[in-house]
Formats: sequence, C-alpha cells, structure tokens
Amino acid sequence: MNKKKHLFAEDSFFLSRRKFMAVGAAFVAALAIPIGWFTSKLERRNEYIKARSQGLYKDDSLAKTRVSHANPAVEKYYKEFGGEPLGHMSHELLHTHFVDRTKLSS
Amino acid sequence: MRPILKHPLNVRIFHYILLLSFLPLAATGLLLFFKPLSQEGMQLTYDVHIIAGIVMALDAVAFTIMAFDRVVLFIARVFSFSGRDVKWFMVLGGYPQKFLLGKKVPIPPMNKYNSGQKLFGACVLIGGTVLILSGLVLWFIPHAAPRDIVWFLGQAHLVSGLVLTAFLPVHLFLAVYRFDDFKAMMIHGNVPYHDAAEYTPLWVKNEIAPVATNGEQLTSK
Repeated sequence: MNKKKHLFAEDSFFLSRRKFMAVGAAFVAALAIPIGWFTSKLERRNEYIKARSQGLYKDDSLAKTRVSHANPAVEKYYKEFGGEPLGHMSHELLHTHFVDRTKLSS
Repeated sequence: MRPILKHPLNVRIFHYILLLSFLPLAATGLLLFFKPLSQEGMQLTYDVHIIAGIVMALDAVAFTIMAFDRVVLFIARVFSFSGRDVKWFMVLGGYPQKFLLGKKVPIPPMNKYNSGQKLFGACVLIGGTVLILSGLVLWFIPHAAPRDIVWFLGQAHLVSGLVLTAFLPVHLFLAVYRFDDFKAMMIHGNVPYHDAAEYTPLWVKNEIAPVATNGEQLTSK
C-alpha cells in the first residue's frame, strides 16, 4: 500500500520529550479519573447493599415469627376455614389467575 | 508533484476501521433512539449496535496502545489554541463566503489541522471516550451500577452520539471537497506539496522535512 513514494514527511518528532510526557500523562489521567470515579461509586453502592442485607438478616433474627406458615393468622385460617394447604378451597381462594393479553395489543 | 506523507499507514488503517464501525453505529443508534421497527427488528438493530461498538472500542484501544505517540501528537494539536483560531472562526475558514457568495476572504495560516478540524477532533476524542465508557456500563452492568449514574451515562451516550452523528455529514462533505486530502486518507497517505502549502502553510513551514527515498531526486523545499 505504502511504497514510500513521498518526498517529504513530518519531521521525525517535533514534540519535546517534556511536552510528550505532559500531554500523555494528562490523557491517561483523564481516562483514569472517570474509571476510578465510577469504580468507587460502584464499591460504595455494594457497601450499601451489604449493609442493607445485614440489616434485613438482623431484623429477621429478632422477629418473633420468622416464617409465613408459623403466622398465627395463617394457622387460624387453615384451622377454621381453609382446611389444608394446597387444598381445594385454598386453591380457589388464594390462587392468582392470569390472562395472556400480550397478543391482544398488536 | 512533490508528495508529503500526511497520513501514515497505521492512521489510515485506524481511520478505516473507525469508518466501518461508526457508520453502522450511527445508523443503528438513531434506530434505537426512534424505535421504528418491530420487536425482532429492534433486537437485530441492538445486536448490530453492540458488535459495531465492540469493534470501535477495540480499534480505539489498540490504536492508543500501538501508536501512543500519534495519539499524543493528535491531542497536542487538537487542544492547541491561539489567536489564529479566533480569527479562523470569525470567518469560519472562509467556507460560507466561498460556497454562498463565491468570494475568497483572507484566512489566518493554519497548522496540520485548521480550527474547525481541531474542534471536530476534540469532539471525537472526548465524545468517543464518553461513548465507549458509557456504552460499556450500559451494556455490561446496567443492573449493578447505581440507577442515577446509569441514567446519566445513558444521557451522556445519547448526547455524544447525536453530536458526533451530526458532525458526520459535515465531515464527509468537506472531506470530498478537499479531494487531495481525501485521497491521502483513503488511499496512499500523500498530499501534494502545493495543496499542503495552500491549506496548511504553518505545518509545511515548521514540521515538514525532506525524506530520502530510494535513488529519487530530492527537490528542495
């Protein structure tokens, strides 16, 4: 492609070493700053998520009733009305029904 | 003709890959913004956008690593500013007068890039970096990054993409208008001495040196 047919070219390197290093360092810093900023944001967000999940586990360990099937209200429902879990009555009353409406929209 | 090497081979290869990746990126970016296609069409558009984006990002990173001196030179040129640039922008390089009124106005002497090209270069450098970095976050970790930052990066991606896409027709028009430079970038890298001396006199005066070629007679500068 390039058979050196030119008679003139840019002088080998007209930027001084000092200027080359200054511009190069500024460029690398300009690239590194947003990356560092974003990484620290991401880390701080992860810290928040970790603290939040720790708080949730702590709340859970302090709670008297820790599982839904130990809830007295649920126990009372099955005992006096619903019969057994997954029974016919509970299925009718508690099961959520969906209708696929995605095909109607277009 | 006395040719000057203006665009070395690595720059031309970089520019070709940039061209082949940016054109589909601009087209699919606009499609993703206006969403005119069906679900499948938009999915295909998104896939093309991602693949072209990867090609452009790799091209930029590879060129920065392999030709760091040229990147530094480009930055030094693009961000140099003087009174000549103010004077250039006051007459907009004489282009409106030339195209609309058919008259020639005096223009301050320019270096390798004129002030308009420098502005475009700065937009490409900053906007391209923003596009690549924000695109990476939006593609890879939109669920893991903080919500407000993802929104901000999405806006930055959109604005940078629209600005660079808006520059595209101007760049293409002026590239073909300066046909000697167009051939240099697209084919052999050389511009004729008289063309360079007319449009970029400071570059020719300060930075151009004779090169010894195999047995060919050197014509003095």
